[in-house]
Amino acid sequence: MSTKGYFGKLLEVNLSTGKIEKTSIPDSDIHNFLGGRGLGAKILYDRLKPGTDPLSPDNILMFMTGPFVGYPIPSSSRTCVVTKSPRTSPVEKKYEHSSTLSYANMGGFFGPELKYAGYDGLLVTGKSDKPVYILIEDENVSIEDAGEYWGMGTDEFDKIFHSRLGEGRYESCYIGPAGENLVPMACIINTAARAAGRGGTGCVMGSKNLKAIAVKGSGIPEVADLKKYNELLKKIRGSFMEKNDRVMDWRYGGTANALTSSSGNGTQAVKNYSEGTFSEIEKIGTEANRKKIWKRDFACYSCQLACKKSGFAKGAYGVQVHDGPEYETGTMLGANLMISDLNGLHKLIYDGDDYGIDIISVGNTIGFLMEAMERGHIDADFLDGIDLGWGNVEASLELMRKICYREGIGEIACSGVKELAKIIGKGSDEYAIHVKGHELAAWNVPVNSSSWAITYATSNRGACHMNGGNSSRQDGACLRDSLGACSFASSWYRNDIHYRHILSSITGLEWTEEEFNKAGSRIFTIEKMFNYREGFRRIDDSIPEKFFNNKFTYGDHKGAIVDREEFTDNLDKYYESRGWNKTTSRPEDDILQELNIEFTV
Amino acid sequence: MEDIFITKKQSRRHFLSRISYGAGGLILLGSYGFTITKDSRTGVIRAIAVDFEKCTGCRTCESVCAEYNNKVMVNGELINGLGNPAKSNIRVYHFNPDIDIPSTCALCDDAPCVEACPVEPDPVTGRRALYRDEKLNTIVNDPERCIGCQSCAIACAQKRAGVIHPDPETGNPRFMCTLCGGDPQCVKYCPYDALKYIEMPADRDLNNLAPEKLAQIMIDKFYNV
Repeated sequence: MSTKGYFGKLLEVNLSTGKIEKTSIPDSDIHNFLGGRGLGAKILYDRLKPGTDPLSPDNILMFMTGPFVGYPIPSSSRTCVVTKSPRTSPVEKKYEHSSTLSYANMGGFFGPELKYAGYDGLLVTGKSDKPVYILIEDENVSIEDAGEYWGMGTDEFDKIFHSRLGEGRYESCYIGPAGENLVPMACIINTAARAAGRGGTGCVMGSKNLKAIAVKGSGIPEVADLKKYNELLKKIRGSFMEKNDRVMDWRYGGTANALTSSSGNGTQAVKNYSEGTFSEIEKIGTEANRKKIWKRDFACYSCQLACKKSGFAKGAYGVQVHDGPEYETGTMLGANLMISDLNGLHKLIYDGDDYGIDIISVGNTIGFLMEAMERGHIDADFLDGIDLGWGNVEASLELMRKICYREGIGEIACSGVKELAKIIGKGSDEYAIHVKGHELAAWNVPVNSSSWAITYATSNRGACHMNGGNSSRQDGACLRDSLGACSFASSWYRNDIHYRHILSSITGLEWTEEEFNKAGSRIFTIEKMFNYREGFRRIDDSIPEKFFNNKFTYGDHKGAIVDREEFTDNLDKYYESRGWNKTTSRPEDDILQELNIEFTV
Repeated sequence: MEDIFITKKQSRRHFLSRISYGAGGLILLGSYGFTITKDSRTGVIRAIAVDFEKCTGCRTCESVCAEYNNKVMVNGELINGLGNPAKSNIRVYHFNPDIDIPSTCALCDDAPCVEACPVEPDPVTGRRALYRDEKLNTIVNDPERCIGCQSCAIACAQKRAGVIHPDPETGNPRFMCTLCGGDPQCVKYCPYDALKYIEMPADRDLNNLAPEKLAQIMIDKFYNV
């Protein structure tokens, strides 16, 4: 019998052979890597040969739940998609297909339902010779033809697929045209609104000819100490139901509240990261959305914060019913492109999700091309005649469409800013805002650079805003992503309702603070060792040149810039704090042993 | 915690103007048209009312329902079970365009499910296998007498919201609202106060109950497309 709180089972589907297996997870892996992101990293490290082509049938696409997922622990519904990234590459390639691992997590109901069906994770390998979807109802699993759905946008697919599945409450996730067309920055979508957005997960799914997964289940794993678990659950629910300002702020604006606050603080990506403040931010902020776009709040499983907002836009770009701007989507397709037309922004977000593309990367890429145009490094001919100026909604829509269908300029632009800069040349890599090939997200670097530069430089999937700016934050994020908990609610889980107490009640294992933190460090470090094995070194832990050369010209933080020496110094300190070699960035052997991952030595 | 989240902008009257009963009802949104009085034509009943504008689809109601109504014995103590939503009496249905519709037993005054039960009424209590419990007005099944014919589930599906689902093994009806002994947990724990346990006229119109129909009404209301 497996550790309580888990079924101890993986569902493994090989789309080349059609073989469907249910395999056991060793208890030692559960104890060391918890689930979700951590267990995914361990499986990827164990099973994937170094240098594996991320788009080959050998790559493993994992949908991992964590030990909290499926239980009604508030805001703990996350599904972590783990795979080898089609987005990243090191400066010096050890293998032709050297890349980092990728992890992207999504909220909603998919992870809980996968758990109810009896699995702690779903592993997809191989490649189908025709488009298929995987249908799971408890122990019954089948591979079904998806030919009729191939080519559908995610919104239409969501509607039609679920109506055809008939009565019942299947949960699903799927790719759109971007994933089907093997656009490297494609993502995986669920409920037509939520995304495992980053790191090219949808491209890997498309490479397997897998359109969708639908799941329905009826079970739930036992917990070890139900009485204690119930007591904790009651306390946690109570702490959210206080309806204090923190709760009400999330409900009122979700992450979109940060659109105005981040702009004011000079931490927003504006004009391809040239500025940290957007003068027209009010036009796309929470208040504007409340007034013009948002109709209702909606929530992930057992979440009381309901940060998501159903929007309804009607205007020059037609009618869209869609999840309205969040901080990332609103910044990357708004402020970063100098777009303040709310209907235009809403249409861009709708299209991005409908194509199934990572809005962060595509927004960053469009911003890069806008800057290249402005600097005269490219002209409209390079862009198939698109007149790509700052703030141009129509041009951005058209460029995004071309990227998602790899049409004309889209064939190059779909690979992101690192590849584009190589082709454009003329020093354009200076303002290609990526780390390891993965584009930066909506938080700008120069203000609070000691934290943000380390956050982006050292993230294991390439630039990642969720990474954390020091080792303890990073380890904390690993734990959260491995349990299946949501970042936004993490600050509630303190003191007597700390994650580790809940985990102890569920598993029956006594998680001390020390052991718990060590697990976080272990997870981060095995990811690092995966990347190190692929050839990633200190030189890859850098930030774009622009941050050392460009001063903000606008707002309260006018003049902000990153000091190169300070960054180097902070990176040294970071490696020291982790016990990593400062020249190579490799974790030292004694650290690997201490973390019980001596097999990576 | 009654009414804590009915904000300043929103009076209780406004709330009542856009509620519906149980799984539904014709009285929705602006078409508010009832008054709760002691001399209502057929009296007053208490049941779960849903404010579809507020529901966020978080399904906390499902968890707490499943926990309370599936208690387990641990060391001689009866405590809440795990919140497996598959065992919940209330269900939230999600639709695209975005809307979530909680659906729960409406405790219908004329109870087509009870009417459909073919088991002979008990000569002493007058109860069929499926009967209305006088204490809380809930619909209860007696598993000792139930023959698993599923007539109740069919009646509910044909005439009301289709809340009753037969147990796949025994055929016994499941998912009738228990009102949790008078303190409905779904109401107590709904983070958005979208659920209320309130009095309503017993002769309320319950024709338009299916989650799909309610979803369409809400989609028209919110998105007007």
